Amino acid sequence: MASSKTCFVTIGATASFAALIKAVLSPRFLTALKEQRYDELLVQYGQDGKELFETAVKGVQSVGGIKIHGFGIDENGLGRYMRQARGKDGQEGVVVAHAGSGTILEALRIQVPLIVVPNSDLLDNHQVELAEALSEQEYVVHGHLDNLPKALQDAEQLRTRQKQWPPPNSGVHRQSKSQGLKGVLDEEMGFLD
Amino acid sequence: MAFILKFLLAILAVGLTAIYLRFTILLNAKRNKPLRHGRRNPNEPTHLMIVLGSGGHTTEMLSMLSRSVQDEDQSQRLHWNDYTHRTWVVSSGDSLSAARAEEFEKMAAPLSTQEGLMMGKVKRATDNGPGTYEVVTVPRAREIHQSLATAPMTSLTCMQACRNVLLKDTTTTREGHGGQAGERDVPDLILVNGPATGTIMVFTSLLLRFFDVKGVSTRGKMRTVYVESWARVKRLSLSGKLLRRVVDRFLVQWPQLVREVGGSVEYLGVLVQ
Repeated sequence: MASSKTCFVTIGATASFAALIKAVLSPRFLTALKEQRYDELLVQYGQDGKELFETAVKGVQSVGGIKIHGFGIDENGLGRYMRQARGKDGQEGVVVAHAGSGTILEALRIQVPLIVVPNSDLLDNHQVELAEALSEQEYVVHGHLDNLPKALQDAEQLRTRQKQWPPPNSGVHRQSKSQGLKGVLDEEMGFLD
Repeated sequence: MAFILKFLLAILAVGLTAIYLRFTILLNAKRNKPLRHGRRNPNEPTHLMIVLGSGGHTTEMLSMLSRSVQDEDQSQRLHWNDYTHRTWVVSSGDSLSAARAEEFEKMAAPLSTQEGLMMGKVKRATDNGPGTYEVVTVPRAREIHQSLATAPMTSLTCMQACRNVLLKDTTTTREGHGGQAGERDVPDLILVNGPATGTIMVFTSLLLRFFDVKGVSTRGKMRTVYVESWARVKRLSLSGKLLRRVVDRFLVQWPQLVREVGGSVEYLGVLVQ
């Protein structure tokens, strides 16, 4: 376990995201994983994704060489799996996730390369904007369902220049009179000292 | 007849003007701040209200508070016991948010007490200790699958509960005067982010200020700070749109949003961690 290169895929706990489960369990993606020397694929498929996951796994048994397993939801959070994917000593993996902000923040804190795949089925799609903005600043790779192998390559690039999280806010407050949340609360409270 | 009509119209016009003028005073972010003598003056109790929502909103709120109270830069570190009393508002049935608030209090309160004493910056006499806190519950503004037709009714119920929570702590001193040492007063500051409960809390506080209940307006109480979700890069959330013009401070976490929305919106960097 300790010496395997892991790709951890998570669709989150609230909505289902069948398209992402299908995309990561396609022969094309698995081949790409093998090319990048991955040996483990771990999928968090959500409350009602079990059936879909098992059918899809059967469909790609011919590819082989990669251990595939999955689970529905873990109430203790995903940190454990993200740290497993982060790996060490030349076995560093990747996380592929839906664009939920909680999941993204956790992966950024854990400092594991992250591919964000927004769910285009969701109505209010501010998640795409978040994924775009973060990939522009090179915090994450903005992945598209139809081209995940490319995202996997980009993630290797991202690994070499993993950015610090949270970003230091020095410089920002120079343009503003307040310093961070504390500054604003102090001003509103009337604390002058 | 025409005279009476004119008379009524005039009264209506004066009334509307008065209401309008009242609101311009209420919504002026530069309006009176409470007069204070020092940060931890034992004669001036302070009260912070934090509104939590379910899921993502609670996570973001606790994430930025945790980051603030642990900030390595002393000038940016939030000292939790600067607030002698904290009220955490959670929606009914959301035991997870309540538990996370408790967890935060256990972490943050001792942090600033010990640290402050060690730094020698806070005299023992003016140190209030860890202060007190309370987790209160209000009914949900809207259940997840509730129809829109019944939403006004449940919103009113929620508003009533918010009013009770906002006025829960009042002083025994004359109306319009501050509390005495050890007493609790109405919230000085209400910190909210996205959830519907937070929006209703802010509007309820606005109504209380409109009628200057317990002198909240003249005494500069119930100032409001809204933090837009980190997930909002280019467009405001519904709560953000509703609250933009009524809160005292409106913080966003992406510079794009300042350009997009303009006005008094402030970007002070990423606040979550």
